[in-house]
Amino acid sequence: MAINEEAILKSELRWAMVVGGIVAVILIAILYAALAMHINPPSNREYVDPKTLHLSAEFTEANLGTRVDPNGQIVARVIATQFEFVPNCIVLPAERDVTLRFTSPDVIHGILISGTNVNTMIVPGYVAQVHSRFTKTGDLLMPCHEFCGLGHSQMLATVRVVPAEAFRPGPDGRIACGDRR
Amino acid sequence: MVEPSYPESAHDYSSDAEEFERLEDSLGEAPRGALVVSAIAVGLLLVGWLGLYFLVFLPRGSVG
Repeated sequence: MAINEEAILKSELRWAMVVGGIVAVILIAILYAALAMHINPPSNREYVDPKTLHLSAEFTEANLGTRVDPNGQIVARVIATQFEFVPNCIVLPAERDVTLRFTSPDVIHGILISGTNVNTMIVPGYVAQVHSRFTKTGDLLMPCHEFCGLGHSQMLATVRVVPAEAFRPGPDGRIACGDRR
Repeated sequence: MVEPSYPESAHDYSSDAEEFERLEDSLGEAPRGALVVSAIAVGLLLVGWLGLYFLVFLPRGSVG
């Protein structure tokens, strides 16, 4: 059987090379996305006290929603709580870099924004931060994707992506879904 | 009815050597079929992965 063993070894080596090639192609594709297209898993690590969110500087009710900072950075702050998002609709411009910041006062939640790569978990005690750039306009659904209790299936929000020229925040830099300017 | 070209049982072989030779031939053929099946399976998987990656994942834009 010596000849067959040799043939089997050869075919195994060939397969190993094919699989090595496939793994290399996939790794190159992932590196290309990370380095050239800035597609990376969100990896922010920032702590916040979940018991005093309403007293914190950043996540007080008046500070939630979309705001354009004086330096031009567009930041949307959202609290995910059982069983709603506050606010439940945020406005963001298309073709502009935006930052989304989430946190939770109660249990673990998670979000994804339909049709985009935005996807993160929201863990009490941490701020989940995602940078993105939306390419399409329209109302996108943002459901909770981490089972958070009996009302989980009712927990969803809207991300309204408007053309950059239609994104006109007020003098305080804020813009909300109900605004008509 | 066409007569089968292979013996009905191992006892029909004229010798152990012939049986061994036939067995070796059969085993020699087997990996080709396995290779074809696994090449199709792996090929479909790779095409599916690349399709989702380039046609769905990348167009959805940057995130980080």
